[in-house]
Amino acid sequence: MPPFREDQLFIIAPGSETTLCQLGLPESFAPARHRLPSRMFTAQQDGEYEPIKIRRKERPAQAPTAPVNGLATNGNLETDVEAAWEEDHVSEEGAIWPIRNGRIVDWQCFCALMTHVYNTVNPPFHTPIILIAEPVWTTKEHERITQFFFEKFKVPAFTMVDSAMAASYAYGVTTATVVDIGHGKADVTCITDSLLHDIGRSVAVPDCAGEAMTERLVKLLGSRDGFTRNVCEQLKKSSICEVLPPDVDLPTDESIPSTASANPAAAASTGADDVGPGQLKLSVPGELPRGPGPNTQVGEEKSLEENDGVLDIASIVTGGNMTEYLAKKEREKQERLAARQQKKGDAGQQAANKPARLQNNKRPRNTFVYEDYALHDAMKKAGMSAQSMVDMQSAMDEGPNKRQKTPEPQSAISDKPADSGLPDSTSPTTASGFRREIEVGLERFQAASGGITDRLADAIYRTIQSCSDSNRRSELWDCMIFVGNGGKVRGFKEALLETLQKKYIISPSSATIFTSELPSNLSTPMATGANTPLPQLPGQHHGQGVNPLLLAATTAQNPQLHPLSSSGLGQLNQSAVHFSHAQTPTSIKLTKIPEYFPEWKEVGYDEATFLGAQVAARVLFIADSAAAASGGGSKGYMSRTDYNESGPMGIHEVYL
Amino acid sequence: MAAVLPPTQAPSKDDYAGDEINALVLDPGSYTTRAGFAGEDTPKSVTPTHYALSKSGEHIFGENAIHLPRGDVEIKNPFSSDGLVEDWDTAAKLWEYAITSRLTGARQTPPSKNGLNDDPVKDGEGDTAMVEDMEKMEDEEQSRTLEEYPLLMSEPGWNPVKAREKTIELAMEEWGVPAFFLAKTGQLAAYGNGKATALVVDVGHQNTSVTAVWEGMVLRKSIMHSNIASSFLSDQIRHMFTTQQVPLIPHYMVKTKQPVDAKVPSNATYTNFDTPPHASFRRLEEERVLTSFKESVVQAWPGPGRLDSNTDAVKMNPARPFEMPDGWNTVFGPERFKVAEGLFDTKSAYPDPSTNSTPPKSDDSIPSLMHRALNACDQDTKAPLLGNIVLTGAGSLIEKMPERLQTDLQALYPNPRVRVIANSSSVERKYGAWIGGSVLGSLGTFHQMWISKEEYAEFGAGIVERRCK
Repeated sequence: MPPFREDQLFIIAPGSETTLCQLGLPESFAPARHRLPSRMFTAQQDGEYEPIKIRRKERPAQAPTAPVNGLATNGNLETDVEAAWEEDHVSEEGAIWPIRNGRIVDWQCFCALMTHVYNTVNPPFHTPIILIAEPVWTTKEHERITQFFFEKFKVPAFTMVDSAMAASYAYGVTTATVVDIGHGKADVTCITDSLLHDIGRSVAVPDCAGEAMTERLVKLLGSRDGFTRNVCEQLKKSSICEVLPPDVDLPTDESIPSTASANPAAAASTGADDVGPGQLKLSVPGELPRGPGPNTQVGEEKSLEENDGVLDIASIVTGGNMTEYLAKKEREKQERLAARQQKKGDAGQQAANKPARLQNNKRPRNTFVYEDYALHDAMKKAGMSAQSMVDMQSAMDEGPNKRQKTPEPQSAISDKPADSGLPDSTSPTTASGFRREIEVGLERFQAASGGITDRLADAIYRTIQSCSDSNRRSELWDCMIFVGNGGKVRGFKEALLETLQKKYIISPSSATIFTSELPSNLSTPMATGANTPLPQLPGQHHGQGVNPLLLAATTAQNPQLHPLSSSGLGQLNQSAVHFSHAQTPTSIKLTKIPEYFPEWKEVGYDEATFLGAQVAARVLFIADSAAAASGGGSKGYMSRTDYNESGPMGIHEVYL
Repeated sequence: MAAVLPPTQAPSKDDYAGDEINALVLDPGSYTTRAGFAGEDTPKSVTPTHYALSKSGEHIFGENAIHLPRGDVEIKNPFSSDGLVEDWDTAAKLWEYAITSRLTGARQTPPSKNGLNDDPVKDGEGDTAMVEDMEKMEDEEQSRTLEEYPLLMSEPGWNPVKAREKTIELAMEEWGVPAFFLAKTGQLAAYGNGKATALVVDVGHQNTSVTAVWEGMVLRKSIMHSNIASSFLSDQIRHMFTTQQVPLIPHYMVKTKQPVDAKVPSNATYTNFDTPPHASFRRLEEERVLTSFKESVVQAWPGPGRLDSNTDAVKMNPARPFEMPDGWNTVFGPERFKVAEGLFDTKSAYPDPSTNSTPPKSDDSIPSLMHRALNACDQDTKAPLLGNIVLTGAGSLIEKMPERLQTDLQALYPNPRVRVIANSSSVERKYGAWIGGSVLGSLGTFHQMWISKEEYAEFGAGIVERRCK
């Protein structure tokens, strides 16, 4: 009888952006039940934190306000003007992110976050906790965290699992190279025979993960109006942002010759540009960020929006011109409606000869819908009433309309869920503000440019090449695991793999030697069979004077076939092991994940680390401890008693 | 734990606490810096000793930073070619980085300052007070990172008195460690291999050293060192490449490559840099290629006899192919033996083709060093030492090096039994000295050896000469 029940296991995976957690293991493992942003806001008192931004109301006189998003808690508004606070579930302004690049930068806040996580899930008293540890955490920090969990939550048992180890659990392999692409950093870890190699491990490699891609987009697009950092972040998460394989040219007008005319969207939006093949043309500022712009009406849209140009609505709002703007939007809507009706006739004809929709990666431009948080913040600051916000929302909202018009061609074939950043198109007025549409050119294919892929590839190469177990390196190259939400950008993993292959793979040089040297041998076959490229005793080779190139070619990739020197050093008992090995990699492959769990399969395995934690939780707390209880093996967690005996240092005994 | 006891009094039982992780072990080398907690099998933190120096004078440490092809940094190393610290300020920072980055936790940047929580609009009251609090916390944090643990450091056998005193000053005054000890790498490597008496041959990056350890004590006069080591081997490979016209292009310059036939010019696309990285960066990256070459191609001629007296036998050995990062490839036959031969027989080393620098001295080769070290020892210690030759250091991982040393020594000393002990695990060979430190630091009986803060305060830096023999 194991000491813990499956429904009483509490898994926490803190990340730089999102903390995943779950209480209890279901029969079939599913993705994490709770996803909490890894941030806290400072509370009124020093050293205290709130999970939600508490914003002071700017104009309490306007009260009583309708609850914002139905969740506002303005307590004693009448009595004290100072106490006029409200919760803002959307804004992240002033948030403290305690984990940056995997490292815990603010301990106080980290503890507050863990407490918030604990309280959100609210586990019953007898609940052991399994925590996924970031590789960058130091020995000392492990102790500190252990101490915190035991002393704050009085947990009956606790353990930590390294995130790379957890990923290998999820894949059910004992030897792997785990590449965890996170928010601000990536980790590359070699595991051989369930042994994690600390030496040579690339921990928290900066500027090659999700955040770096956003930065890159900001750099490419930031000079243009409308493309704030936030928009770029959302662009990265949208399905039109894609990383193309290194040798694929960016789509141009020429790449869509005949369909261009048939597709009014593409024609209208790109007709004016003459972009050379593979050449990037930065669009004219003000032309691109057209707020409303369903593809099929680009022509009419243009004239409407030209006088608008800059769509920094946030500034309109703060400038106090909102009513004017709303009226204008209303007018536009009417005009557009009229235009649409007028156009209906041709539209029917157009629809008839419309070809199959172009894939995203063939289109020089594409549009996506984003949520304007800046506007939300600006309106809040301006003390807008809830009603006016709703007005604004409906005026601005192109979401559902838009979604109908341009269903993403790939969304059907993508096995991943719609990215979390993408607004849910089914609910027109989501809680979080203002959906707007924006068009992006070729920049959307360049999120990982600027050396991001190269940097990560180099880190992977470096890690594997410094794995001390040199004979296992080629195996490690064949068991790559890519996890982490940072690598979710479409095509990124494929591009990374291809970069690795293009850059590092050792071409079968033996083959070239083979073909250039073999014929002379083959023409005069010898009776001894020395030309057969099979492992033979070196003595025979020497006798026949076999071409050393040939021998090298046949044995190079198999170090164990190298003829052992027969120098008769019988006394050297320990040093018989070879340290030499053939150059690696000769092939690079991804590990396939066993697809036992339909729920996981559905959403993809970017968070496989969490799946691994589930597996580990079951193994460590249920299976192993049952075995340990029946008198065999050791337990893989630290119980309260262990903690009392050995203190926080005991975590090193069980740390995986 | 650092209670100071007179050597005559046995420590109380509580002081033994043998297997507890309680001391830090730092083994600084000229290529990597090894650090970890005593009692562990391997150092948790292995940091490159090379660092990047930006134009603005910023020192950037760590594997992640130094391999970025940046135009504005120079790659430097705080060690001199003699394996001694030259740039103390940087070395201190680097060692601190090695310890804090992976072991004790880095000094944190206050959230208000790390640039990630930039809040253009201050929330009003409470902000400034909080910042101050944070800073106070930070200060405590920073001094605590190294204040908590006793520190055991290694040093080369030929470390001058001044450098030793400087080291203890650094540890005691700058880091505030509660207790400190300095041990010679040779001694530690012997402990790491479980030997109290041994002739330790440590092939490092810049230097090869030979140290005779007799019943746990270093025989000072036996310590010999020369620069016939890994870096010398790298130079040999470079010279060989020059004479054979092998292009050495490091990885960062290559974007993609195409397979080409052997000895055919490569067909690769190269990366363009607006500001090309410094020459020192290129050298560091070339070193990575050379390491790979050493690992997969280079082999020591195992003997018996020297390489040039066995040219026919050498030709019988299969050649090995090697592909450069840009796809250029060929096979290396006798050359792959010849580059390593200089380690054992300096006369057959590749001459430096570019400059007319002096060739290495013949008594600097590894067998000669061993010979000289043994000659400096008493006659009756020779036999036990010859029977316990411990080979360690990453440079000793060249294939067949133990065999070669065995045969060379056997030829020099036909009479006593010669036995070269080389651990088969590459990790234990690479980090032999650190592992010895880990063993020593976790021994209960070692506790009375520490130089405590109080003792340092009383006797000053000179105590290191008296205590750490």
